[in-house]
Amino acid sequence: MTPVHTEPLQVTPPAEVAEVHFDDDMEKRIREILKRYPTKQAAVLPLLWMCQERWGWTSPGIMNAVAERLELAPAFVEGVVTFYTMYQTEPPGKYLLQVCTTLSCQLCGTSGLVDHLKERLGIDFGETTRDGRFTLLDVQCLGACGEAPIIQVNNDYYTELTPEKLDQLLDELV
Amino acid sequence: MEPILLRARGETNSRSISTYLRLGGYGALKKAFIMDPAAIREEVKNSGLRGRGGAGFPAGVKWGFVPQDSPKPKYLICNADESEPGTFKDREIIHVDPHMLIEGIIIASYAISANTAYIYIRGEFVEEARILEQAIAEAYKKKYLGKNILTTGYDLDLYVHRGAGAYICGEETALIESIEGKRGLPRLKPPFPAVVGVFGCPTVVNNVETLACVPHIIERGAAWFASIGRPRNTGPKLFCVSGHVNRPGVYELPLGVTFREIIEEHCGGMRDGKALKAFIPGGSSAPVLPADKVDTAADFDAVAEAGSMLGSGGLIVMDETVDMVWALENLLTFYAHESCGQCTPCREGSDWALDVVRRIRRGHGRPEDIETLQRIARYASQGMTICPLGDAFCGPITSFLNHFGHEFEAYIEAATPAPRKKLPILPVRSGRGTFGL
Amino acid sequence: MVTVTIDGHEVQVAEGTNIVEAAGKAGIEVPTYCYHPGLSVVGQCRICFVEIEGQPRLVTACSTPVADGMSVLTGSERVKEARAAVMEFLLENHPLDCPVCDQAGECYLQDYSFEHGLDTTHMVDERRTFPGFERRLIGPHVVQNQNRCIQCTRCVRFTQEISETSDLTMKARGNHSYIDTFNSEPYDNPWSACAADVCPVGALTVKEFRFRARVWHLEETPSICPGCSIGCNISLGNLKGIVHRFVPRHNPEINGWWMCDYGRFLAEGLNDRDIEQPSRADAQSEERAEMSWAEAIDEVARLIATGSDVQAVVSANLPNEALLLAKKVLADHLGARVLTPINDGEKHKIKNAQRQWIGSVDSHANSTGARLIGLPTGDQDALVKFLESSNGPLIVLDNRAHPWLATDAAAAALKGRPLIVLARTHTPLSRHAAVVLPLASWAETEGTYTSSTGRVQLAQRAFFPKAGAKPAAEALLLLGARLEAGTDPNLTPRAMFEELAAEVPAFAGMTYRRLAGEPGVPALGFEEVAHVG
Repeated sequence: MTPVHTEPLQVTPPAEVAEVHFDDDMEKRIREILKRYPTKQAAVLPLLWMCQERWGWTSPGIMNAVAERLELAPAFVEGVVTFYTMYQTEPPGKYLLQVCTTLSCQLCGTSGLVDHLKERLGIDFGETTRDGRFTLLDVQCLGACGEAPIIQVNNDYYTELTPEKLDQLLDELV
Repeated sequence: MEPILLRARGETNSRSISTYLRLGGYGALKKAFIMDPAAIREEVKNSGLRGRGGAGFPAGVKWGFVPQDSPKPKYLICNADESEPGTFKDREIIHVDPHMLIEGIIIASYAISANTAYIYIRGEFVEEARILEQAIAEAYKKKYLGKNILTTGYDLDLYVHRGAGAYICGEETALIESIEGKRGLPRLKPPFPAVVGVFGCPTVVNNVETLACVPHIIERGAAWFASIGRPRNTGPKLFCVSGHVNRPGVYELPLGVTFREIIEEHCGGMRDGKALKAFIPGGSSAPVLPADKVDTAADFDAVAEAGSMLGSGGLIVMDETVDMVWALENLLTFYAHESCGQCTPCREGSDWALDVVRRIRRGHGRPEDIETLQRIARYASQGMTICPLGDAFCGPITSFLNHFGHEFEAYIEAATPAPRKKLPILPVRSGRGTFGL
Repeated sequence: MVTVTIDGHEVQVAEGTNIVEAAGKAGIEVPTYCYHPGLSVVGQCRICFVEIEGQPRLVTACSTPVADGMSVLTGSERVKEARAAVMEFLLENHPLDCPVCDQAGECYLQDYSFEHGLDTTHMVDERRTFPGFERRLIGPHVVQNQNRCIQCTRCVRFTQEISETSDLTMKARGNHSYIDTFNSEPYDNPWSACAADVCPVGALTVKEFRFRARVWHLEETPSICPGCSIGCNISLGNLKGIVHRFVPRHNPEINGWWMCDYGRFLAEGLNDRDIEQPSRADAQSEERAEMSWAEAIDEVARLIATGSDVQAVVSANLPNEALLLAKKVLADHLGARVLTPINDGEKHKIKNAQRQWIGSVDSHANSTGARLIGLPTGDQDALVKFLESSNGPLIVLDNRAHPWLATDAAAAALKGRPLIVLARTHTPLSRHAAVVLPLASWAETEGTYTSSTGRVQLAQRAFFPKAGAKPAAEALLLLGARLEAGTDPNLTPRAMFEELAAEVPAFAGMTYRRLAGEPGVPALGFEEVAHVG
C-alpha cells in the first residue's frame, strides 16, 4: 500500500457558505479558466471544482455565486451539480471514504472491506461518523481495477486493500 | 513484442520530458510538421488504427470527416474519461508516459487543423490530472505547445478539463456537453461531432490510447504499424486484466493474441488454481463469454464473431466460484446508477432490470422474469436509445442469460413468493420548499 | 417544398419540417411526449418512432427532418412493437392513480396507452417513488407530483426557452432525476402555469383548477383573454355555466401556445355576479326596485330626455360590435358626447410562435377596436375632465370601463346626475344609479376584439347569459329601437360584424369565416406587426 498522504478536507460549515464571494486569488484563477473556453458556461465544472477545493463542499450559496459569475441561472448550475456524483451537496466528514463496489473490486473482496468499515465506523453508506471524521460512500468503478480492491480517500487512491491494511489506513488518517 | 506504448515503464522519472526526449520523444512531431495535414490523416488511415475507446472506429477515417473548408475553429478532444468497469489502460499511459499522449494530441490537432485541444479526464483521476498539467507545462516550456510551435507558425493550446463523476461522459457527445458546462446528456446524432461538436464547431474526440499510437505511426510509418496484429486489427493494444488472475494489470500485446495466452502466460494463470468460468473481454459493456471461448483471438473482429466485443480491452476474469446472478446484479447496479436518465428505454430499463435480477437473487424470482429481462434487453438496445448505454447494459443481460441461464433458473426454481407489502398511504408531506397546500 | 409519403398519403411540406409535423399535415397523429412544437427538440421520450422505408433502424419522428421522396410508415408492425415497448417503459414506474389524478382526461399517457400500449405489463416490482415530492406546491400556481413525471423536460425547456427565467431544472440523474427549482425555492414567474400546460402527464398541475372538474365534463369554448390588449387566444372551460379555467389556445401570430398567469386566473372572476335584473333607484328606500328590460329601456329613454347634454362612457373591453352600436345609437343618433377611457395598467408580454415577445399597450382587450371604429379615447385625467363638463344624463357602458369609475370618488363626483349604468357586479357608482342594467359576462358574450397588434379575433359565447343579463350590444339594440335610431333590433353578432366590415374601412373584407380560419385577421394598417424586446 502506498504510504498515507491524504490531507483532510477543510469543510466549511453551512452557515458560512450560505453566501460566498470570490477573493482576489480566486478571481485570478477564474479569469485564467475563462480564457480556455469560448463560452462562459464551459467554466461551470472547473469553477465548481475550485469552489469545492476551497470550501470542502458545494452549498446552494456556492452554486448561486458560480451562476452569478458565469451569468447563468442558479437552477441550471444546480442541475449540473446534481448530475455529477463528485460535487458534495451536503457537508462531508474530513475524509471521504469512497469504496469502489463494481465488479472487478467485488471479485477481489470489496464486500469484506465494506463490512469491516461499516462495523468499525458504525455508519452505513452515505453517512458521516458522529465525530465528523469519516464519510462513507459507495462509488462505481474507479478505473484502477488491476489493483483491486480500491478505496479513494479524498483525492487519493489506496489500492490492493485488506481489512488489516484498511485498519492501518484509518488509524493514520487523523 | 517490443513494448511500444509502455516502452517507458520501468524507467526512472519516466513521466518527465527529459526521459521522453531521451527515448526519442517529440521526434514524430518534427516529422509531422514537415508533412501536409492531409498526408498525416492518410498515414493514420493507412495504418488501420482503430479507436481504442470501445467502438473500434478507424481513427484516420474519423479525422477525415472534419470539413476542412469550414470557417469555424476546430477542436480536438482527448477522451480520458476512463470509466468502463474493467478498464484502466489510459490511467497507465498517463502514469507512465504522459508526453506520448501529448505528442499524439499535437499531431492529431495539426492533422485536423485544430488550434485548441482539451483532455477530458474523469474527476476521480486527481493525481492523473496533476501529472498531465505538469507534463503540459513542460511541453509549453519546450515550445511544443503554445504559439508558433517549433517556429512552424502552428499554434495549439492544450487544457485539462476535469469531469466530476459520470460514466456517461465517456460517450463523446455527452463529453462535449460536459465540456460546455452542462449535464452530460448524449446528443442526438446526426449531426456528428466531426461536423457539429463542442461549441458548435467541428470536433474530433479520440481515446487516450488511440492518440498515444499516433506518434509511433508517424515516426515508424503506417506499414510498420499495420504489420503488428492481424489484418483490419492492427497495432499494439493495451489489455487490462482484472479479477481472478494471479497478476492483474495492464499488458501491451499485439491484437490477435488469444485470451488463453493473456490469462495463462501473461497474468500467471487463475488465482488459487481455480478454474475459469467466464470472462468479459472488453470492459463490462461487452457481453460475457463462457470459459470455452478462451481460445478466441483478442481482436475486434474475432471477438465480435465470438459474440462479444473487444471494446476497451478490459478483460474481467471470473473463476468457478462466481455466482453469475450476483455478477449481473452488480453490473446492472452500475448501469442503473450511470444512466443519464434522458431517454426512456435506458432510464426505465436499467433500473427495472436491476429490480428483477435483485429480486431473483433474493430468492423471490418468478418464471416469467426471464422473459421480462429478455424484453428489456430487446427494447432498450439496438437504436431504441439515443446513445450506446442502452446496448451497454443489454449486452450483459442477454449474454448472461444465454450462457448462464441455468443459474437464473435454479434461483427461480428455489424461490419463494415475495412477501406482500402493504402499499403505503402517502401522507401530504411538507418537504423543503413546500409552503402549504 | 418537398414531397413525402406518409402511410401512402403524399404531402408537400417545407424543407426542414420534421416527420411529426409532416404526418400531422397528412392527418396522421404520431404520438409524442417530449416533443412540443413550441420548444426545442430533444428526442428523448422515444415514443415517436416511425419507420422510413429502406432504412434499417426506426427513427424518432420529432428529430428527423423529411427529405424529398421519403416514404414514412407510422403504423408498421415494427413501429407498433417499439411504441408498445416504450409505453411499457414509461408506465413501469408511473403510478396508476388516474382516478385521483387531475390530468386524467387530458393525459397523453392515458391516450397513448390506450392507442399504442400493451394490455398488460411485465412489471411486478415496487414502483419508484419520490417521498416528499408527491403533492408539493412548488410555486403560487403549480403543484408537483414527481411520481408521475416521465422526465420529458418540457417544463424545463419552457422556462429556459419561452419564459427565459430558467427556474426549473432536472436534478440528479437516471431513474432518480426529478424536477425542481434552485434550492427548492418557489417556482414563480409571470407564465408559471404554462409549465403545467406543457406537462403531458399529471406531474405538474395548476393549483387553481385542481379537483374543480373532470376535464371531459368541461365544455371548451374558443375565446380571447380579457386581461389586456395582447389578445391571447384561450380556450374557456365551463361546466354548467360556471367558468373553471382558461387555457392558452394556439395562435402562432399572437401568443404561440402560451399565456400569462395574470390573464389565466381572471377565469374565476367571470363567475361573479350580483346584478341579475334591471333595477332603478328607489327614492323612498335604499333597496333597488327590480323591473323588466322593457320597463328599464323606457326608463332609460325617459332619463335621456331629461337633459340636453347627454354623455356616454364606453368601455374598451366591449367587442367591436358593441362599440360600433354605441357610436351609431349614442353618438350619431342621440348626439351624445362619447369617451372611451383607457387605463394603461400593468404591462404584460407573451411570446408568439416565432419566439418574439408581444407586449400589451394597455389593459383593455379592445382599445385598438375603439380607435379604429372612431370612438374618442382618453386617460383618467381626460375622463374626469370629460365628466366634469356636463350635468346631463350619463350612460356608463360599463361600470368597470376604467378603474377610477369603480372608486368612491367617481360615485361622489357623479352624484345627482341621471345615471344609466351597465354592470355585472356593483361598484359605488352602480349602487346609486338611476337605472342599472345587468351586463352579460365575457363568457356570455359573442363578439370580436381587435388586439394591440391589429388582429381582429372572435370570442365565442360559452353559454347563455344568466338571469336577466344581456351583452352590451343587445342592450344597445333595444335602446336603439326605442329611440328609433334605425338599427335593426334583431341583428345577430354575425350580422353586426358584417355591418362593421361594410362600414368601417379598417375591417373591410372580413368575415366570420375568415376569423375562424385564420390566426386573427390583421386590420387595415396593421399588416406589419411590431414586436417588443
